[in-house]
Amino acid sequence: MANKRQLLAIVALFAALALVPLFVTDSYIRHLFIIAFVYAVIASNWNLSLGHCGVFNFGHLTFFGIGVYTAAIASKTFGINPWLAMLLGGGTAALSALLLAAPVARLKGIYVVLVTFAFSQLVLQLVLSQSQITGGAEGMVRLPFLQLGSYSFLKDFKFGYYYVGLALLALSCLFLAFVSNSSFGKSLKAVRDAEDYAAARGISVARQRILALTLSAIFTGIAGGFYATYLRVASPEVFGFGTLSLALSMVLIGGVNTVFGPVLAALVLTFATEAMAGLQGFEDARFIVIAVAMILVLRLAPEGLVDLLGKLRLPVRRTQT
Amino acid sequence: MSENILEIAGACKFFGGLKAVNDVSFAVARGEILGIAGPNGSGKSTLFNLITGVPFGPTSGEVRFMGERIDRWPAHRISRAGLVRTFQKDAEFPALSAHDTLLVSATYNGRLSRPQAEARIDDAFRSVDFGQTRRSMPSRELSVYEKKQLMIASALISEPALLMLDEPASGLTKPEIQRLDDLLITVNRSGVTVLLIEHVLSLLLSVSQRLIVLNQGSVLAAGDPHDVVKNPQVIEAYLGGRS
Repeated sequence: MANKRQLLAIVALFAALALVPLFVTDSYIRHLFIIAFVYAVIASNWNLSLGHCGVFNFGHLTFFGIGVYTAAIASKTFGINPWLAMLLGGGTAALSALLLAAPVARLKGIYVVLVTFAFSQLVLQLVLSQSQITGGAEGMVRLPFLQLGSYSFLKDFKFGYYYVGLALLALSCLFLAFVSNSSFGKSLKAVRDAEDYAAARGISVARQRILALTLSAIFTGIAGGFYATYLRVASPEVFGFGTLSLALSMVLIGGVNTVFGPVLAALVLTFATEAMAGLQGFEDARFIVIAVAMILVLRLAPEGLVDLLGKLRLPVRRTQT
Repeated sequence: MSENILEIAGACKFFGGLKAVNDVSFAVARGEILGIAGPNGSGKSTLFNLITGVPFGPTSGEVRFMGERIDRWPAHRISRAGLVRTFQKDAEFPALSAHDTLLVSATYNGRLSRPQAEARIDDAFRSVDFGQTRRSMPSRELSVYEKKQLMIASALISEPALLMLDEPASGLTKPEIQRLDDLLITVNRSGVTVLLIEHVLSLLLSVSQRLIVLNQGSVLAAGDPHDVVKNPQVIEAYLGGRS
């Protein structure tokens, strides 16, 4: 379990984030935070399969995309309440992860990368080809927005969406911390580091991989549903390589053996890329800067940003389990 | 219930043209310590692998554990059934502490709830005399002897019926081997049958009630340990021809 110091740092971070909208009224800054929360959910849940269990799953963004399109189709085509549509995104993402995990669980290394990447391409082609349902390459627009009773989230300068995004991130972190500190979470690290030894201690390697992939898709899919409901758009761009590489850089820079590393990296990288986009000459170079940062972190601190902060004796440290 | 806890009949493991284990048959009686010896490459560890399914089962032949045929079972099922092994090389979960290594073993192999598993961890540590201050250390930071202790404790915590030890004395000092000797006797007296691969002859002769010698994948000799080591064929194959 995270020690008191770690817990304090995490609570302080979330308390500070909860206060942001009270002092930051600029809706664009709030928007950046919301996008950072979404990325933080994607990256930290990806870390469950990639970092904790060692499954080289390159189809994680597909779970997000499935969440996006589930919420979009459910709310716009079937008129389902957007709150429920968001949750449905988690359900369909988990179901698709379960289907993907069955063949992947017994594969190793590059074959896992190939199959999961092929899966993401398959889903993308499905979205593009079924344009009467998904809108094809143009996607779906003007999706229903969130409402809470008579309160509309549409004209409050993103105040409501900010707190929904933050709540989603908080719930996702609680879920991941619980999983990581459970016997199941520890068994994932056992499977990752010593497959034969794990099997000789009664752990079904295939079963743990299937569960890790499925669990990692739940909040990722819900985040997809939230993203679609927030932007009111479902676009095939969510399956793009740019989104995938940015989320992967958050996992690797944040730290693959942690719960909160990717969360921290998502917050830092979202604002860093946005800041660089505003600098003349850096508009296109920002992704190169992120790539260089990723290489430097992997070279100098392979355990990631959180571990580096721990070594510098800063309060946020690796959640060692 | 069968008097034999483990029965191997015609077990073979081939890697292409290489017959790593070739038509091996023997039985392990309930409650005994059976030693397995043989020169390097004689098929001892391969035999352990095909019995436990880690990482592979036999090419052909039968393995029966407590009367049930297990040679097509997945490794984790065999282990949960009570046939638990250790490894020749240092096996560890480097990201887990010694405590968490036992927790995972107890939860999965022993099928215990977390509170039940936690309650058993202290006893498992004490059974191998594992240092109190070392229990929260990451496994990767433990000494060779501590890693061996931990591997045995992680096997014992699920209360196996048959414990299979693959060269537990390798890399240990003389006093550590003596402590291991005592531990094996204690474990065996608690009702655990032990199958032991070992190169340290003094340990084998001290604890084993029977000894099997393998050579080139086949059983060369079997019987009372003190008689087997005097067998001329064994001396030729295992001890390099000294008389």
